[in-house]
Parts: sequence; C-alpha cells; structure tokens
Amino acid sequence: MSAENDYAVELKGVTFKRGARSIFNNVDIRIPRGKVTGIMGPSGCGKTTLLRLIAAQLKPSAGEVWVNGQNLPRLSRSELFDMRKQMGVLFQSGALFTDLDVFENVAFPLRVHTKLPDEMIRDIVLMKLQAVGLRGAIELMPDELSGGMKRRVALARAIALDPQILMYDEPFVGQDPIAMGVLVRLIRLLNDALGITSIVVSHDLAETASIADYLFVVGDGQVLGQGTPKELMNSDNPRIRQFMQGTPDGPVPFHYPAPDYRDDLLGGR
Amino acid sequence: MSEASVSLGANGELRLAGVLDYSTGPALRAEGQALVRRSESSEVVLDCSAVEKSSSVGLALLLAFMRDAKAAGKNARLRGLPADMRQIAQVSELLELLPQEA
Repeated sequence: MSAENDYAVELKGVTFKRGARSIFNNVDIRIPRGKVTGIMGPSGCGKTTLLRLIAAQLKPSAGEVWVNGQNLPRLSRSELFDMRKQMGVLFQSGALFTDLDVFENVAFPLRVHTKLPDEMIRDIVLMKLQAVGLRGAIELMPDELSGGMKRRVALARAIALDPQILMYDEPFVGQDPIAMGVLVRLIRLLNDALGITSIVVSHDLAETASIADYLFVVGDGQVLGQGTPKELMNSDNPRIRQFMQGTPDGPVPFHYPAPDYRDDLLGGR
Repeated sequence: MSEASVSLGANGELRLAGVLDYSTGPALRAEGQALVRRSESSEVVLDCSAVEKSSSVGLALLLAFMRDAKAAGKNARLRGLPADMRQIAQVSELLELLPQEA
C-alpha cells in the first residue's frame, strides 16, 4: 500500500478488547483521503476508542491500522512520534493547558516538535489563531474563554503542525448554535482549503450529516452501515434508520437490559 | 530529512528552493537573514518559484524575511508563490499582507 492511495486511514480486521469485552470485533473501515468522514453511533459505542486506535494511543488486540501507508501497530516508538506529527486531534474536552495562556497553548506543539526560533513560532501561532478568529485572545487564560472559544483555540493548536489528518472527537457537544455553526464552517474550510483528511467522531446527527462527505455508523462492535449521508438516510437497515432518524426505540432498545421491573420493585426480597 | 536552500540570485533576489518545513525552517531562517543583510539591492524579491512543498513554516519564513527587509529599510516583494503556500496564506487571511508581483 502506498501513501498516495485513495485512503488516508484503513482499519483491516481490527478487534479491540477491554478485558473480556469486545469493543470492536473484526472491523474494516476505510477513510477517504481529503474528505470529511463522519463516524457516528450512539454514546458508548466505542467511537472515541476508534479515534484513539487511529491516533496510535491504543493498540488493537488484532488487525491492522494503516495511516498514510504505515501499519501503526508495527511502528517503533520514534516512528510513532514522527507519525503523530501528521495527525491533529481535537479532543472533546478541548484539553487546553489551564496554566498556559492562549498563545502558549497553541505554541506548545511547535516548541515540543520543532526547533523553530521564537519569532517564527509567533508567526505560526498568530496565523493559526487568525484562522479560527481568535488572534485577539492571545493573552487570555483558558478559564477566561467560553466553551466555543476553548474549542477553537484547541483547533488552532491541533493545526499548528499542519497535520495531514485532523480528528475531531465530539466537536459539537455542549456548543451553542452560533459556536456550532462556526465549527462546522471551520472544519469544512480547513478540509477543503488545505487538503486535510478530516475524521469527525460524533453522535450529533444533523451537524455531522451536514458536513460529512461519507459516514460510518458503528454499534455493537461492528460497522452497521456506511455511505453518503443521503444513502444512509434512505437505508433499508432498521438499526441505521433508527439512528439516522433519531427514534428512541427500535432495534436498539430504549432500555438497557434489566431484570423484570415488577420483580425488581415488588418481587420478594 | 527534507532538503531546501536559500540563495542570492543574480539580480539580488532571495531564492527559496526545496521543501520548507519544520526540519528545514530553522537553518533557512538564519541563512536568509544573513543574505538579506548582505544584499546590496534596494529591494528584496522573495522568489518562491523553486519551492517544491511548503507547510506554514514557508509563510513564517517569508514574514521573517519581510521584517528583515523592513529593518534594513528595503522594500520586499514576493514572486512565484506556489499553490500550497497560497492556500495556507488564504486560510490564515494572510494574502493581502503579502506584496506579490503582478
């Protein structure tokens, strides 16, 4: 497989277990290069685990994770360190360093991974903050920022090293409609203008479907379906339809498996 | 390791070539600064037409050389900005700050 093929990321037969429990069971996922791909599914279905497998923060129990032509589980520590420079991750929490100001948060990966002089680090930090509209917030501390601003600073930090692959973990959670719109626009802009491969892990259907070129729906350790948002909306698979249409009950039951209610409340104890 | 160079052209232009990235950036910065100082022409033309590939580092280099030129009381102009540098400049709303040749 070459780095120039159509897929930036390929998971082949990936199984991931926590103890005896399988989070993923023999999963195949191919993420097209230069596109926005959404990975969707109900909370707790292992979406973040998937992202961490791609970011090489976790190793699969079995199978291969290819990123830009390299099989991650086979790489040495130093090769992984280099590979991570090609990947930016926007974590759900934003994960800003609370004791560093906005400037130093964005400068952090540049200071760790490069030997650039301070003046060039400053140029790049200002460029990235300008891209997310927060150059004026350079001296603020994270606790002075709104939730939406925190996420944009985290995005500026995630693109500081010009990654080829940008991963977003639940980017829309807890965002007001304006902040959400700003993020959707930024994800699309960065993807299209810079040719980045974007992976958006989310359970927010409307936003993700509106932005993604291609979607995977995961659940029960499997890929339940894949296709363009339109194809999935019209899927014959009742589980996918339930998820895409947001109905509370269906093949995925509203109730987590539980003992009989009557027995639980009124049964002899 | 990527390869890149910066040199002074026949007409006093600063020619950037190769791959401008995090590994080549620091040396290019130092060498380019010395060349701008040494150049005797009244204008610094930053010629990017031999740049093969560039990350944000390439734009930070251009900005740094523009500051050098300004400090030396010289005008700076850009020539041959490649597509990838132009895209990064666009996302960072930098294009209008870069004096490009028509």
